Amino acid sequence: MDTATHMLRTGRRGTLFEAQMALRDLRTSVERIDLARSLAWHDVVSRYRGSILGPLWITLSMGLMILGIGVLWGGLFRVPVHEFVPLVAVGIVFFGFVTTTINEGCDTFVQAAGMLSQTALPMFTFVWRTVLRNLINLGHHVVIVGAVLVWAGLWAGANYPAAALGFIFLVINVAWISMLVAIISARFRDIPQAVASVTQAAAIMTPVYWPPDRIPEKYRWILDFNPFYHLLQAVRAPLIGKAVEPHSYLVLALMALIGWGLVFSLFANTRRRIVHYL
Amino acid sequence: MTNVSISCRDLSLRFPVYGVDAKSLKKHLAKIAVGGKLGSHHGSTEVTAISGLNLELKAGDRLGLIGHNGSGKTTLLRALSGAYEPDEGSIEVNGHIAALLDLSLGIDPTATGFDNIRLRGRIAGLTAKQVDERLDEIAEFSGLGPFLAMPVKTYSAGMQARLAFAAATAVEADVLLMDEWIAVGDADFQKLAHRRLLKLVERAGILVLASHDVELLRLYCNKVMRMEGGVASPVTDIKKLDELMAA
Ligand SMILES: Nc1ncnc2c1ncn2[C@@H]1O[C@H](COP(=O)(O)OP(=O)(O)OP(=O)(O)O)[C@@H](O)[C@H]1O
Ligand SMILES: [Mg+2]
Repeated sequence: MDTATHMLRTGRRGTLFEAQMALRDLRTSVERIDLARSLAWHDVVSRYRGSILGPLWITLSMGLMILGIGVLWGGLFRVPVHEFVPLVAVGIVFFGFVTTTINEGCDTFVQAAGMLSQTALPMFTFVWRTVLRNLINLGHHVVIVGAVLVWAGLWAGANYPAAALGFIFLVINVAWISMLVAIISARFRDIPQAVASVTQAAAIMTPVYWPPDRIPEKYRWILDFNPFYHLLQAVRAPLIGKAVEPHSYLVLALMALIGWGLVFSLFANTRRRIVHYL
Repeated sequence: MTNVSISCRDLSLRFPVYGVDAKSLKKHLAKIAVGGKLGSHHGSTEVTAISGLNLELKAGDRLGLIGHNGSGKTTLLRALSGAYEPDEGSIEVNGHIAALLDLSLGIDPTATGFDNIRLRGRIAGLTAKQVDERLDEIAEFSGLGPFLAMPVKTYSAGMQARLAFAAATAVEADVLLMDEWIAVGDADFQKLAHRRLLKLVERAGILVLASHDVELLRLYCNKVMRMEGGVASPVTDIKKLDELMAA
């Protein structure tokens, strides 16, 4: 064990110092990302201990939902099943990742209260834990996407590099939102309900279950002003053989910059207090 | 290991008290609406748990903390563990810290005993490999045998305590922080637990032990400090414990 460990904690010394400390928290959490990974795996494994299918249960229920919505609503919207099912499948799987990572973000620090009040673990570790846990679950659900793409014959035509790029944008943005709600929920206990309503509304306003091109031109702005739309499109469009609108990348990049800037400064300002909120 | 040290300078630590009601955003927003200070924490009650504490410890020091309930002992230990940030002053610790404050740390009742041992080890800073190397030893020490493959929620209270103790004490530390002497379990296990803790204490460069048990402090400590309402007495030799208690 390394004896070279050194810890120095002091009172507030101005904004710059607080930012440096916040940055150090971030850096340590990245150096010890292995710990976040272990915690995430522990969550997944222990949640499904004793069940036969594990996280695949959710995969299964997602699959049924996709089948139901894909076939039924496809008829309703008069879109061919081979076009509609992939749209809904990719939508539900990736949007599910967005909503659960944000919803579970509310518990990030609250759940870690015991550890945060007697160890010097970085707080970011718990943010990564939530994100990684959801990535692991997504890894199971992605099976559906693969199966549907093969079935619909879209498999060969998909633009995987673009989808990967979009996915990186998605994760970066979802991570800051998840951390934002983690901090606010630690302080105000009624936030998780509010967050749940927002993500629920977002799932309806965003073309997850319906084809985006069905929206009349005069209501297009509803999509353009919906950040979740851009998040989803950046991943989904390349997978189902459509192009991502260039301005979506602009929106996502700006969102990531502004969002992380905001969350980081919030964290720098509340870092000392979060443990007392709990 | 000789450069192990703890140094607190003018350490003050306050707890903001967020009333149960104020935790609701509704009320917070209402306050803004009637012209209260936006986002201001001033004016809210604060509990001063530690004020102006100075403390210097070096390798070989075994410090006992005494003081009435609420005098700030646990708060000091948490601050030394790095969990609580000082409001004023500084804390400097050289050496690997192990805080045995709350044995149930990181214990997940739905997970199995083995999973909990792994989790606890990882939280304490062991690598996955180190945890695996110690797994057998921890399992054996806990004496829980086949129960380790079962969820912890199926354990009796004493069995849970055994598991928590075995997992928590499977660490190496230069600085050992303890809130009460944590030997737990039935008579047999307690004997083992005492021995294990002593070994841990011997290996550690510095021990800080908070306890209400004077005899215990005499047994394991060579120095003592008394806390009273967040203010600490000077560190004195354990032989002067009686005088300190009387003061
Ligand atoms: N999380 C907290 N929020 C607000 N106040 C707290 C919190 N924890 C402790 N305090 C306050 O800080 C003071 C010191 O508490 P602490 O737990 O350090 O006392 P202690 O010396 O360990 O007492 P005991 O002998 O009962 O264990 C007390 O007045 C207590 O009310
Ligand atoms: Mg206490």
